[in-house]
Amino acid sequence: MRNIAALDPARHGSLRLRPTPDVSRLRYAQLGMTELAVACADFPICLAKDAHTGRFNLITLFSLEEPRNLFWLAEKWQATYLPEAAMTPPFFLDTGTPLGLAIDEDSPRLGNEGPPLFEEGRPTQVVSEARDRLQRVTRDIADAQMMINSFAELRLIRPLKVVLERANGTTHSIEGLYSLGSRPLAELQDDVIVDLYRRGYIAAASLMRASLNQLERLRQLHNLCSTELLGNVHVQVMEQQGR
Amino acid sequence: MRRETNPDERPVRGIVVVGGGSAGWIAAARIAARNATAGADATTVTLIESATQPTIGVGEGTWPTMRNTLRKIGIAETEFIRGTDAAFKQGGRFVGWTTGAADDAYYHPLNPPAGATEMDLSAHWVSLSQTRGAASFADCVDFQGALCERGLAPKLITHPEYTGLANYAYHLDAGKFATLLREYAVNRLGVRHVSGDVLGVEQSATGDIRYLKLSDGQEIAGDFFVDCSGFKGILIGGVYKVPLRGCRDVLFADRALAMQVPYPSPDAPIVCHTVATAKEAGWIWDIGLWTRRGVGYVYSSAHTTDEQAERTLRSYIGKAAQDLNARRIDINAGHRQVFWQNNCVAVGLSAGFLEPLEASALMLIEISMDAIADRLPRTRGAMDVLAKQFNSAFNHHWQRVIEFLKLHYVLTKRTDTAFWRDNVERGSIPDSLQERLGLWRTHPPAPQDFTFAREVFSWPSYQYILHGMKYPTRYAELPTTIAERQAAERLLGRATAVRSDALRRLPEHRSLLGKIREHGLQLV
Repeated sequence: MRNIAALDPARHGSLRLRPTPDVSRLRYAQLGMTELAVACADFPICLAKDAHTGRFNLITLFSLEEPRNLFWLAEKWQATYLPEAAMTPPFFLDTGTPLGLAIDEDSPRLGNEGPPLFEEGRPTQVVSEARDRLQRVTRDIADAQMMINSFAELRLIRPLKVVLERANGTTHSIEGLYSLGSRPLAELQDDVIVDLYRRGYIAAASLMRASLNQLERLRQLHNLCSTELLGNVHVQVMEQQGR
Repeated sequence: MRRETNPDERPVRGIVVVGGGSAGWIAAARIAARNATAGADATTVTLIESATQPTIGVGEGTWPTMRNTLRKIGIAETEFIRGTDAAFKQGGRFVGWTTGAADDAYYHPLNPPAGATEMDLSAHWVSLSQTRGAASFADCVDFQGALCERGLAPKLITHPEYTGLANYAYHLDAGKFATLLREYAVNRLGVRHVSGDVLGVEQSATGDIRYLKLSDGQEIAGDFFVDCSGFKGILIGGVYKVPLRGCRDVLFADRALAMQVPYPSPDAPIVCHTVATAKEAGWIWDIGLWTRRGVGYVYSSAHTTDEQAERTLRSYIGKAAQDLNARRIDINAGHRQVFWQNNCVAVGLSAGFLEPLEASALMLIEISMDAIADRLPRTRGAMDVLAKQFNSAFNHHWQRVIEFLKLHYVLTKRTDTAFWRDNVERGSIPDSLQERLGLWRTHPPAPQDFTFAREVFSWPSYQYILHGMKYPTRYAELPTTIAERQAAERLLGRATAVRSDALRRLPEHRSLLGKIREHGLQLV
């Protein structure tokens, strides 16, 4: 569980930060606009609803159904890219605090390894870099959010049907994932397409759709480290749904 | 030689709707959305809204059908919920109808009983409750009563528009609803909005209306007229003199007193169902909107006085009623003998009005428009056949609504006032209801008892009321197989499982409405 408190030299003066976060159990991460092009070389990128607002978030998947990160293998990160949002914990932006940051005091990344957060009571580079990163990620995710909102308004978002076929013949569908429909994209008006293109949204849409093939890579990774083998992963954008 | 144009082949293009209340705007929007074509033979829709007649603004409860109506018009659910202060409605809770005792209440949920398309659980429930003392029928065969009881919403913020975990309808502000529909119909569907009062009409030799004469001298011509002018029925009554077939001998209520009651605090819970509380000469409706409650007493002036009725209403509301004024509405219960005459069809209050016990007013408008807009006559000749079908169907529907409303009264065991005693008088019960009540002692209400493909109240509703009001049946004697009993147990088990899942996941009603107003619902 998390235990969030305002970052405070009096309280956290002796803490150090392990340079690499523990992502071994991370199943997905939110993605910023500028990350799409690099992330799609490794992961499937799709949309999922925020449980509190119902709005779509742009996310990368690190797992199919396993409670673990399939790209964390042999104690190493086996991908070319790690999304920024995975790097931000244990820090959180909190404008109500003197340093503009809060931390999760229970994070295993904090302890006596790595560079210190404070030196003689003054915040070190670790703290300023964390704040910069958080501000950058927040802006980048907001940009992605703006794009997703446009997609939603233009009614391009469609449910994604992902069916896992087990070796024993049973199937399991993964619910709650969405992507973009190719038909509504193709039917957009010319002026809308030009506008979306200039904003980089057409490129992003293509990357999102192409990245769905990475679900096959998740299957391969699953089979590498599980005895319950998956036969096939069927992926289909439900073009017909929606109005 | 010139050929005489066959009047039967005359195309129907100009649609004129008279009346700017909920009925008029639903009618105009449904016709325009369904019949949008371009070109010379395009359908045009004109709505004439009286500048002087205020709308009645009753009908604040809907059926789940409203979700389809809105979808067909093209209005997003988010826009609808924000624009009409709507809240969700998951059914009705009937308080004090059976015995009037302190614990006398039952739910009529909007969910059908578990497995409704596969099998009928009614008999199984009766034998269960006789042997094991099972929960109430509604709680046994469905989970929605539990959601109502806890004030939970029927859906999550992640559910797409117009879908949910449980079936649902709405409570809405009828005035704001008409405004929302008007803006949408005029700005998005191209409905022409004319302000004016109809003074008279010009008719053809066959009696068809050719055009309307407005008070400012305008003449509005049309091929087909939809009379949504409210109780007055300017065209159906004023022009065609179609009489109202009253049903006061069956349903005694002839008056209503309504109040808009503010919430005690901005975060007060919003009840997620309609509460109908039986009183000495009628019953009180209580519906929750986002901003306020709508509360009203429907009563029979033959069984109480207006003063006494107002005291009853104020005592129900309590302190909150102190500074509020009650608005009186006369209920002339009944419906037209003919709804569609010549090239004019009456929809809404002009077609008829019944006490709002099962929120039938907006529903009847919607199913009327399903019949009219989805099969809009293409020619004058087609109109007569469609009119015949419509009149026959809607005479049936109104009759069945009247009978279903009466069902709530005839099953009472209350004898405390003349109103309740008179309600079970044999002479006040329609024969077909009486006959079926006899049948339903030994056989549960079943699809065979309902002859129309789209019956407004079908066997699940009848079962909820009959069992809710503890109608004595002998269903336990009905033959059943082991396989049926196993299937029934499986279905009841499923209902229980869905209930615990729903109770765990669904949010509190007001909190969901707040989120929808803030974040909106997604389309998929």
